[in-house]
Amino acid sequence: MQSLSATSATGVLLDLSGVLILLLAFACLGSKLFNRYVAYYGAQSVVLSFAAGVAAYAFHSIELWILAVATLAIKGIGIPVSARRLLVQRLDLKRDAALSTGLSTSLIAGGALTAFAYLVTRPELLPHGVVAAAVVPLSTAVILLGGLAMVVRRHTVAQLIGWLIVENGVFLGAITLVATFPFIVEAGIFLDLVAGVLIMLVFVSGLTRRLASASAADLKELQG
Amino acid sequence: MIALVIVVVAGPLAGSVAAASGARARVAGWAGAAGAAVALACSVGLLSSQLHHAPLLAWDGYLYVDSLSCFFLFTVAAVTLLAAVGSVAYLSAEEDAGRLTGFQVRLYFIFFGLFAALMLGALETGNLGLLFVLIEASTLASAALVGLEARASALEAAWKYVIISSFGVTIALAGTLFLFYSASGLHLPPDLRLAWPYLFSHSRALAPDSLRLAFLLAVVGYGTKVGLAPMHTWLPDAHAEAPSPASAMLSAALLNTGMYAIMRFLAITRARLGADFPRNVLLTFGFLSIVIGVLFMIRQGNFKRLFAYSSVEHMGIIAVALGFGGVLGLYGALLQTLNHAIAKAVLFLTSGDVALRYRTREAAGVTGLLAAVPLTGGALLLGSFAVLGSPPFGLFLSELTIVRAGFAASGPALPLLLLALLAVAFVAFARTTTGMLTGQVAAAPAVVAAAAVSPGATGPAPPGPAATSTVLAERVTASTAATDTVRPSASPYRGRWTALAATAPLVVGLAALLVLGLWIPAGLDAVIRHCVAVLS
Repeated sequence: MQSLSATSATGVLLDLSGVLILLLAFACLGSKLFNRYVAYYGAQSVVLSFAAGVAAYAFHSIELWILAVATLAIKGIGIPVSARRLLVQRLDLKRDAALSTGLSTSLIAGGALTAFAYLVTRPELLPHGVVAAAVVPLSTAVILLGGLAMVVRRHTVAQLIGWLIVENGVFLGAITLVATFPFIVEAGIFLDLVAGVLIMLVFVSGLTRRLASASAADLKELQG
Repeated sequence: MIALVIVVVAGPLAGSVAAASGARARVAGWAGAAGAAVALACSVGLLSSQLHHAPLLAWDGYLYVDSLSCFFLFTVAAVTLLAAVGSVAYLSAEEDAGRLTGFQVRLYFIFFGLFAALMLGALETGNLGLLFVLIEASTLASAALVGLEARASALEAAWKYVIISSFGVTIALAGTLFLFYSASGLHLPPDLRLAWPYLFSHSRALAPDSLRLAFLLAVVGYGTKVGLAPMHTWLPDAHAEAPSPASAMLSAALLNTGMYAIMRFLAITRARLGADFPRNVLLTFGFLSIVIGVLFMIRQGNFKRLFAYSSVEHMGIIAVALGFGGVLGLYGALLQTLNHAIAKAVLFLTSGDVALRYRTREAAGVTGLLAAVPLTGGALLLGSFAVLGSPPFGLFLSELTIVRAGFAASGPALPLLLLALLAVAFVAFARTTTGMLTGQVAAAPAVVAAAAVSPGATGPAPPGPAATSTVLAERVTASTAATDTVRPSASPYRGRWTALAATAPLVVGLAALLVLGLWIPAGLDAVIRHCVAVLS
C-alpha cells in the first residue's frame, strides 16, 4: 500500500477537508432553516469531492477521479438542487419547528460526540500506513453528528438530510483508504444512495400530501 | 456451477419481468412463483454439490458460495416460493376487489422479484462491501412493498422502515470499513481485502482493536435489519402495514439475511479475538430482544404486529444461540433459522387470508375462525403451536438444542431464563390466537358491512352456528356491536387456481415443519454440520 505521512501536502489537504466537513456538519446541526440544511449538505459534498480529487491526484487513480466527479455532480449539485426544488420549495418549508431539544443542547451533545469519536478511534487502533489517519476520527464524528441530527430533528426532510450527512461521513472514511477500497463497492454504495434518496423523496411527498405536514412528530398512528 | 448460482438469483426476477411488461396479477404472480420454484430447485442442487466440493470462489471473491451461503440460499428460496404462491392469491383478490390498482399490482410484483433477487445475491457474495450494497438495495426494494398500499399508516411505516434501516445499515458499512482498516496489514490485493474467505483464513493477522469495533458496529448495523432490540422499532410497523406475503418475506427472508451478515462477521471475530467478546455482545442483544419481544406480545391487539414481535423474539433466540456457540449452539441457531422462516411464512400468509376475509387486522375483530374457515383456522392453530415451539414441530427440536447448548456453554442461569421467557411467550401468543380461533362466528348484519367493504365477495356466506338460530343470532348481533367483530366474507378468491394458491403454501409449509420436527433428513444434517464447521 502506498503510504503518506500526515505532513505531506496530500495529507494536509485531506485533513483540512475532513475538518471542513466536520464544521459543516456542525453548521447543519446548529441551523433551523430548511434552506440552510440543504445548502450546508451541498457544501459538505463539494468539499468531499475536493478531498476525493486530492486523493485521486496523489495516487493517479482513475476510479477515484470518477468518484470525485460523481460526488460533485450527484451529491454536490443533483441532490441539493432536487431537494430544494421538490421538497423545500414545493412543500413551502421554511423554519424547522420540530426540534426535540434546543439548538444549544444539540450543539453541546455534538461536541461531546466528537470527543467520543476521538476517544474510540485512538491512533493505535489503526494499523500503520493508513493514509491521513487523522481523517478516521473526523469521519466517525461526522457519522455521529448525522445520527444526532436525525434524532434531534423530527421533520422527515431534516431526517433525510441527517442520513445523507451520515453517508458523507462514511464516504470520507473510505477515501482515507484511497486507491485500495474496491471500486465496485464504492460504485454500489453510490447507486444505493441515489436509489435511497429517490425512494425517500417519494415517501416524503406522499406523507406530506396525506398529513399536511411531514413532521415525524405527527407519525403517531403506529405505536406499541 | 456458476450457471446454477446465476439462475438462483435470476429466477425470482421472472415475476418482475412479467409485471414490467404489463401482465395482470395472476400472470405475473404465477411467473414469479415459477421463477421462485426454479430458484429453489437450483439452490437444492447447489446444496448437494457443496457437500462434496470445495466452496465456489470466483471473480476475486465477489462470488463466494460455501455451505453456509447454500443453507441460507435454500431457506430464502423456500420462503420466496411460499410467499410468491401466496402473492398470487392475495394480490389477485385485492385486484379483483378493486382495492389495489393495476399499477400498484405491477409495482408489487416488480419489487417483490427484485427484493428476492437482491437477498439471494447478497447470500452469494464473499465481498463484505458488496454484501452491504446488496442488503441496502434489498431494504429499498422492500420499502416500496411496505408503502405499496399508500395509506397514511403504510407510508408512515415505510418511512420509518427506510430511514431506520438505511441508517442502521450505514453503521454496518462503517463496521465494514473498520474491518478493512484492521486488514490493512495483510499483503493482499485490494479487491481481496474485503473478501470473507481471505479475511477468515488470515484472521490471525488482523488488528484486534479495530476488529473489535468492526464487530460491534456490524452487530448494531445489521442487527437493525435483523430486528434485534433496541434497533427493532421499525419492524412491527413494517410487518403490519405491508401486504401479507411481503410481510412473510420481511420476517422469514430479510431478517435471516441480516443474521447471515452478522454470522460472517462473527466467524472472523471469534477466530481472532476468542469466544468471550462476541458471546457477551450477542447474549446481551439476544436476551434484550427476547424480553422486549415477549413484553410487547402480551398486550398486542393487532395479530400481524403480534407475529412481528414474535419475530423479534425468535431473532433474539438465534442471537442467543450464536452467543452460546459451540457445535450445539451453532447447529441450533441454523436449525432455528430454517424452522422459524417456514413457520413465520405460514403464519403471515395465514394472516393475509384472515385479513382478506375479515377486513381487519385486529385480533378482537376475529372470532370463530376454526368454525367459519376451517382450513385457515387450522393453519393458524398449527402454525401458532409450531412457532411457539411445541412438539412435534421443528422449532421444539431447535429450541431444545439451543437450551442444551446453553447448559453446556454457561451456567444453568441463562438457559433457565430462556426457558422461562419462552413459557411467557407461549401464554401471551396463544392467548390472542385462541381468541381468534374459538368463539361464535359473528352474525348476519355484519355480513352486509363486510360485503360492502369488499365488493369482490360474492355468493352466500358460509353457514355458521349463529345463523341457524335467530334468537342466538340476535344475541350475537348485540355482542357484535359491542366488540366490533366482523363476520368473514365468503371466499375472497376467484377461480380454483387462485384458491389453491392461497391454501397450498400453508399446507406445504406446515407439512415441512412437521417433518423437520420428527426427522431431520440426513442431507440437511450433513449441510448444517458443514455450516458449523465453516463458522468455527
